[in-house]
Formats: sequence, C-alpha cells, structure tokens
Amino acid sequence: MKRRLSILPWPKPPGGPHRSVCHFCDTLHEAFPVPEGTAARCVCCGAVLYQNRPASLVRATAFSLTALLLMVVVHWFPFLVMDAAGMRTTLSLTSAARSLFEEGSPIVGSAVALFTIITPVVISCGLIYVCAPLLLGRIAPGAMSVTRWLSRTEQWNMIEVFLLGVLVSLLKLAKVADVQFGTGFWAFAVLMLCMAAAVASIDRDELWDRLEVAKS
Amino acid sequence: MSLGLPRAVDHGLAACHVCGKVAAEASGACPRCGSRLHIRKPNSIQRTIALMASAAALYIPANVLPIMTVTELGVVDETTIIEGMISFWRSGAYPIAIVIFTASILIPLLKIVALVWLCAAATGKVAPSPAMLGKVYWLTELLGRWSMIDIFVVGILVALVQLGTYMSITVGPAALAFTGVVVLTMFAAMSFDPRLLWDQLMNMNSEPIPEASKPLD
Repeated sequence: MKRRLSILPWPKPPGGPHRSVCHFCDTLHEAFPVPEGTAARCVCCGAVLYQNRPASLVRATAFSLTALLLMVVVHWFPFLVMDAAGMRTTLSLTSAARSLFEEGSPIVGSAVALFTIITPVVISCGLIYVCAPLLLGRIAPGAMSVTRWLSRTEQWNMIEVFLLGVLVSLLKLAKVADVQFGTGFWAFAVLMLCMAAAVASIDRDELWDRLEVAKS
Repeated sequence: MSLGLPRAVDHGLAACHVCGKVAAEASGACPRCGSRLHIRKPNSIQRTIALMASAAALYIPANVLPIMTVTELGVVDETTIIEGMISFWRSGAYPIAIVIFTASILIPLLKIVALVWLCAAATGKVAPSPAMLGKVYWLTELLGRWSMIDIFVVGILVALVQLGTYMSITVGPAALAFTGVVVLTMFAAMSFDPRLLWDQLMNMNSEPIPEASKPLD
C-alpha cells in the first residue's frame, strides 16, 4: 500500500545548487534528498531542516477533503446538549462566537470565529486547491499566493484548544445541569485529528519545490 | 562553539521566511515566491519588546477585571479568571483547576518572562546559550495558543447558559484584555528571530575578551 502511494517522489527544481538554511542557527547546508519518512537535521544545532513525508500530496489532499466534509457535519449537529430548569439549550460551533458577538464583545467574538471556524476552512480549502492540481503535475492559478497565505494562517488554527475548552465547560456545567455530547462533538474531535494530519502531511520545502517544478 | 560551519549571513545569503528558498539578500525579493528577503527578521528585538510590553500591560486588566458575570436567580456574581480557578479547586476538580491555572495564568506569564530573557540574550545582556534558549523559544511558540482556552470556555458558557431568569451568563471586560494578551504574545514570539542568539554567540567568540583587548585606552 505504502509503495503504491509513493508514486510521486519529491522533485528538485532545475538549476542549483540546492541549499537549505537552518531557520534557528543560520547554518548553510546543501539540501540533499532524504529517503521518504526521514528528516534532514542541522549539523550545528540539530533542528529539523526539512522532512520527506511519504505520499505527501495524496495525504494532504485526502485529509483536507475529509476535514472539509467533517466541517459540514460539525455545523449541522449540536456539540453539547444541556437540559436545565426545564429548558434545553444546544451548542453549535458557531453559537459560541455568535453569542459573544451579541453579548457586546464583537472583537472577542470575531477572534473566536477566526480561530475556530474560518482558519480551519481556509487551511483545508487552500491545501486542496494547491495539492490536488499538483497530483497531476499542474499548478492552479494563484497557487503561490495561496500557499504563502497558508503558511501565515497555520499557527492561528486553534480547534484543539477549543475542544479542550468544550471539555472544561462540560465539567463546569455538570454540577448545575445535565449536559451531553452531541454528534457535532465527536465529528469535531475527528476534525481536529484530520487537520493536524493534513498540515503535517507535507513539508513546506517540498510543497514549494513542487510548485516551482510544476510552474517551470 | 564556532565549529567553522558556513553561516548564510557570511555569504550574504538569506532563506526566504515564507518558502525557505536560499537566495542572495542583495536581490531584494525571493526568486520563487516574491516575498521580501531579509537576512534577519527586521527590527526583531524592538518589535518583540513592543508587543510584549503591550501584552504585559493588558495582563493586569485581564486578571483584575471580571471575565464573566453569572446571574443566578437575580443574584449577580462577577468572577475573575483566578476566582474561577479557585472555585474549581474548592469543588475538588483539581485537574481542571490545574489546566485553567496553567493555560490562563502561568503560560502568559512564562511567555513574557521567556521573551524578556530571549531579547536580553540576543542583545548580549545575558549569556546566550542557544541550545537551551532554543528550547525556551520552541516551547513559547508551542504553548501560546493554549492560553485561548479560557476565552473559549466563556464563549461556550455564554452560549449555553441562557435560562432566562433562572440563570444567565454574560461576558466581562477581561475577556477582551485576555484575547489581547494571547494575540500579542503570539505576535511577539513570531517576531523574535532565534538566529540573533547565535549571532551574539559568534560575536562573543570572535572578539576575545573586549576588556583585555584594549588596555591602553
């Protein structure tokens, strides 16, 4: 299975020499290809220079597509269902951001929406847009700008933090009300794993090398 | 420590901070992705200190002002982050109390201390030991996002607990200040350039004991 998926080895753009600089200590290296599943490390400080991920494009596309489908499920079904004082309230992914917005904290509400809803959508859509055409050796129009924006968006994805937040609130409310997990919660937990896998499935250097090769 | 390894800065080379392509800094823009090339992040120390100082200033209202207001049967109760943590601790929910304490109080504080230390080391005020400080930097970048948890908890509680006159929860002003702390410390960590630590180390090694070198002045 593994052998069949790794049909597209990491290409090197024409010209050379190919070099890599350690982002941490600035040591200059020659960028030799490394076998799939291994990483090149800096000879000076040991920081990872680049990693050759197995079946990177296929995995990035597949995990992003799965994440996108799960997002639909997450928005469709409630996260938590609470029964208290004869009333039933449900929590969806958007309701946390929306109620902050309506309760007079538009900035906090926007930040929550940005970190938990918009960023995951941007990352998964962006990865599909860039990686799927690359599987066929093509480059989508504007793929370079999209990739540039992706690298900026990555660290603002906080769905794993939100998931822990849901657990903490659940425990906080357990005293006063009957709270249960909804389908949305489980979908969200899987979504978190898919997003992490999608982002980790392709190395930045590899993605850019592929873009450069496809463009030339 | 200088092992005679080639450094990009000595060759006038810069790695593009977006795509990683190595090119001559003199060319101005990355030949691959078009981003501006810098040998080091521009004004790294100044930016880090400015962002961090703002974060430190916001850390005070974030902890002093109430983060949420619980109205239960007409009784209004305003709680700060610390009070919320203490009530968890009193009710015996130690793991959550520890999570809240770590994410909301300890991490922002440690981040501020770590960045002050890193900036001091990068400017030569403190001995730069990149191997150890590198771990500090890595941890600072890794943990920053987890501070957001308290804001998310407040958002979830506000959304869920709308039980009319029986019980309702609203957001307090500390939420805005705390969001500011998290976002600013994240930007501060991003604007810090760890390569400055190595530059400082190289400088120290290449200038053997400045006091002894100019005794005649």
